[in-house]
Amino acid sequence: MFFRGATLALFLCAFGTDQGLGQGLSHRGYLETAVTAYPQAAPGDSGRWIGQSLLRYEPSYKLTPGFRVQASFDARTDTHRQAQRNWDLSFWDRTTQWPAFAVRQLSASYSRGPLSLELGKQFVRWGKTDILNPTDRFAPRDYLVVVDNEFLGVTAARLTLASQSDSLDLVFTPRLTPSRIPLLSQRWVVIPPAARGLTLNDAGARYPGGPQYGARWNHQGRAFESSLSFFQGFNHLPLLDTKLMANPLRIDVTRNYAKIRMWGADVAAPLPWFTLKAETAWFQSDTQQAGEYVLYVVQLERQHGEWLFIGGYAGEQVTRRSSVLSFSPDRGLARSLVGRASYTIDTNRSVTFEGVARQNGEGFYLKFEYSHAFGQHWRLTGQAVLLRGSESDFIGQYHRNSFGAIKLRYSF
Amino acid sequence: MNSLKLCLWLAVTSSTLFGQSARDIVAEVQKRSQADSQRYEGLLQVIDSRGKTSEKQWIYERLGSHGKSKATIRFVAPAEVKGVALLVVSYPDRASDQWMWTPAINRERRIAMQDRRTRFFGTDFSFEDLEERDIDHHEYSMKGEEAIEGEPCWRIEARPRPGKKSQYTRSVIWIRKTNYTYAQMENYSEDKLIRRLKYRRMENVQGIWTARTLEMEDMTRSSRTILKLESLKYNLLLTDDQFSVQALRQG
Repeated sequence: MFFRGATLALFLCAFGTDQGLGQGLSHRGYLETAVTAYPQAAPGDSGRWIGQSLLRYEPSYKLTPGFRVQASFDARTDTHRQAQRNWDLSFWDRTTQWPAFAVRQLSASYSRGPLSLELGKQFVRWGKTDILNPTDRFAPRDYLVVVDNEFLGVTAARLTLASQSDSLDLVFTPRLTPSRIPLLSQRWVVIPPAARGLTLNDAGARYPGGPQYGARWNHQGRAFESSLSFFQGFNHLPLLDTKLMANPLRIDVTRNYAKIRMWGADVAAPLPWFTLKAETAWFQSDTQQAGEYVLYVVQLERQHGEWLFIGGYAGEQVTRRSSVLSFSPDRGLARSLVGRASYTIDTNRSVTFEGVARQNGEGFYLKFEYSHAFGQHWRLTGQAVLLRGSESDFIGQYHRNSFGAIKLRYSF
Repeated sequence: MNSLKLCLWLAVTSSTLFGQSARDIVAEVQKRSQADSQRYEGLLQVIDSRGKTSEKQWIYERLGSHGKSKATIRFVAPAEVKGVALLVVSYPDRASDQWMWTPAINRERRIAMQDRRTRFFGTDFSFEDLEERDIDHHEYSMKGEEAIEGEPCWRIEARPRPGKKSQYTRSVIWIRKTNYTYAQMENYSEDKLIRRLKYRRMENVQGIWTARTLEMEDMTRSSRTILKLESLKYNLLLTDDQFSVQALRQG
């Protein structure tokens, strides 16, 4: 309740009705309606047609050249009970469903010379690669639809000191913002064959207390750009405690968040024929059930005429195995070859092809997208996603979830 | 015999003189357009081969000039690209570094720019066309005189110097005699005309004659892009801090 009040107060202060503020005020946003069709039903989820609408409004106000308040608000509904049906306004993003109304971002930033400070709910993105970002630790995601996810903001204080060639980023968050994982009753949670017939029950989450913090130093050299990063906090992706319960017979699933420490590095080097980007992170944990591992990505990128090609490999080296189930799309996408090609047809039209193939051959994902803008405001996007593989593989387990989608967006 | 020698001497010396004067003319153009910084609001119309028009708007800011500069381009329209920003750091001796800020993913991204032929956001300008030309990147030769839209111009051919990469094997530049400004530029790949750029609506802004309308025609696609420069200002007080990756994020 306090945060709802604080949110409203900050919003009113920032974007108040004083008409004199109009000059520094700008806004953008969109209304998007999407229809998704799944050709196959999934165990426990017979829904094959899903409609959803999202209204996103993003005002920002520049009080002085160095001081700015920015916000982003979402209102959402759908036909598949993925979105809540109440009037609550979510700030902390700890609901299992999409909140009907959410504060996606609400922060104030001040910059002067080499120093900039941002306070409030914001997006903190680290890393240089595109296909997977192991060092991107302040970037939880909404995985309700695993292969069509987006980032969640974190409530944080971020101080950046920058010179022309170097920058130091210091981030502090008072509490964890977890990634939103698929709903247990829906198709993006695949029940193992041995447990089929049992109901999965969401027994809630045990959120850890305490802050998280991290630092990243970035250097822009003549031949390459590189970073070193450190993070101390919690994994925003959960470990899953499962318990078989009677009356009624069910499996209770509880989400836990392991304490982690990350040491990371990334580099981008423009070379004559392509740009090399690489990123790696070593994860240690004091939580006994959690695994310890190294994730790394090497990708090559080349622009050729109107084509952009990105291809690479995401790898993993496990140093300690996890003793419990977890939901880990980042590790699930590791040990994979990843490629993406996009072509700009003209100023209004583009096509994108994307593919992921696990190196063991047990799962692959292909995506095709065509996007067409009409006039100044409208964009129509068609998507087709093919998922195949075996049930033991992170990607392969979703082999009944291939889908096609059409999205119509009105931007303002 | 003597008259033949005189003709040969005149032919050799005049071509040398024309060669020198071609570079001098381009040097004078560069000198007269020199500004420490620049800001304008760009209104861009892309007209495709079927006559369909789409529009974009951006705010352009530049610090430095002619081969050693930093520039940002921030899109303000259409609505779906509002907030997208590009930072270009140009160097005299190597390819530029470029980063793009995309609000939808809240992240800046280093752009692979091995191929400067790539069209800039689907317009008829390639990334190379938007880079400032430094006089030392080309060799120049005088090709005569020709009027463009009634204005007397020098016609100069520019070819990339050995070691300087360009998608164009040569460019033909028309420079107005009255004020040393570009009137038109034709860019060729071998003998094929690829793009034609027209410099129109000349205005003296703070002592610098500037084309307020640039029209780029892509001959291979039969499309053209018109860029209008509004609210143009030179020599503003801009600082290095405004041209960093951090500044790109802060908007």
